[in-house]
Amino acid sequence: MEQRNPTLRSVAWLWFGIAIAVLVVGFRQAIFLTPADAAQGDVGRIFYYHVPSAMWSLVFPYVNFIASLFYLYWRKRDPLKALTADAMAIAAAEVSVVYSSICLITGSIWGRAAWGIWWTWDERLTSELLLFLLYVSYLMLRRFSSTGQAQTLAAVISIFAAIDVPIVWMSIRWWRTQHPAPVFFGGPDAGLDKSMMPAFVWNIIGWGIWGIFILIFRFALERRRQLAEQEAALQAIEASLEIPQ
Amino acid sequence: MTWHSFFNLSTMQNRHLLASYATVLIIQGAYVGWIAWNWFRTKNTHH
Repeated sequence: MEQRNPTLRSVAWLWFGIAIAVLVVGFRQAIFLTPADAAQGDVGRIFYYHVPSAMWSLVFPYVNFIASLFYLYWRKRDPLKALTADAMAIAAAEVSVVYSSICLITGSIWGRAAWGIWWTWDERLTSELLLFLLYVSYLMLRRFSSTGQAQTLAAVISIFAAIDVPIVWMSIRWWRTQHPAPVFFGGPDAGLDKSMMPAFVWNIIGWGIWGIFILIFRFALERRRQLAEQEAALQAIEASLEIPQ
Repeated sequence: MTWHSFFNLSTMQNRHLLASYATVLIIQGAYVGWIAWNWFRTKNTHH
């Protein structure tokens, strides 16, 4: 174990460094190198932070969903493996909240400048808000429930969130909403101008590498917390078994 | 665009661009800072 930790730490620092480097390049591309949008001007540059966050906010819920399924499968069969799955589930739920909140806030700021409104109850915005609220309720349930069934109930919420994700993705295809039509996989008229591609690609890769970094870091923290809790429980049991002299 | 125009708050467009980029960096930075703070506060049972 003593050999393992320094290696993992080096990999984590390397991953962190790569994430920062890619994000710096992405920022430079988005702000300084890509020409301003012909229709929107400089405010169109919000695209390079809003869209990658929005797309990743639809990926991390599935990490949570898969981890929750493993938790439900293992909770009776192998409680130690279930704990590991649960640590990944809570990490992915928090990262989902981070990315979906960024998507909602940057979208709102952009909407005010581009449409003249902060918010509208259209299908894309509402389904993304629902995704955010589902994960907030997931985390609140984990934090405040005292039933002992919090992990199982939270795993059920993660199933609802996994159902909402394809609705978010398809909402601008199924309904004509205030939100712009899909840029990717949206038919013959969809697509991104060639001049916008480098900034978009650097940022979607950068925020993806960053997201994986914070996911693994949060998972490692949760495992550390679980192991500390187990050790404290064992010490308490040992202390209670000691025969008073 | 230049650093000067990025931090130019005279137009609504520029204010909103800066606000959205700052929001992303603040939320992500605060979250990773919170994880790191808890990391050092939580006992490492491997040692």
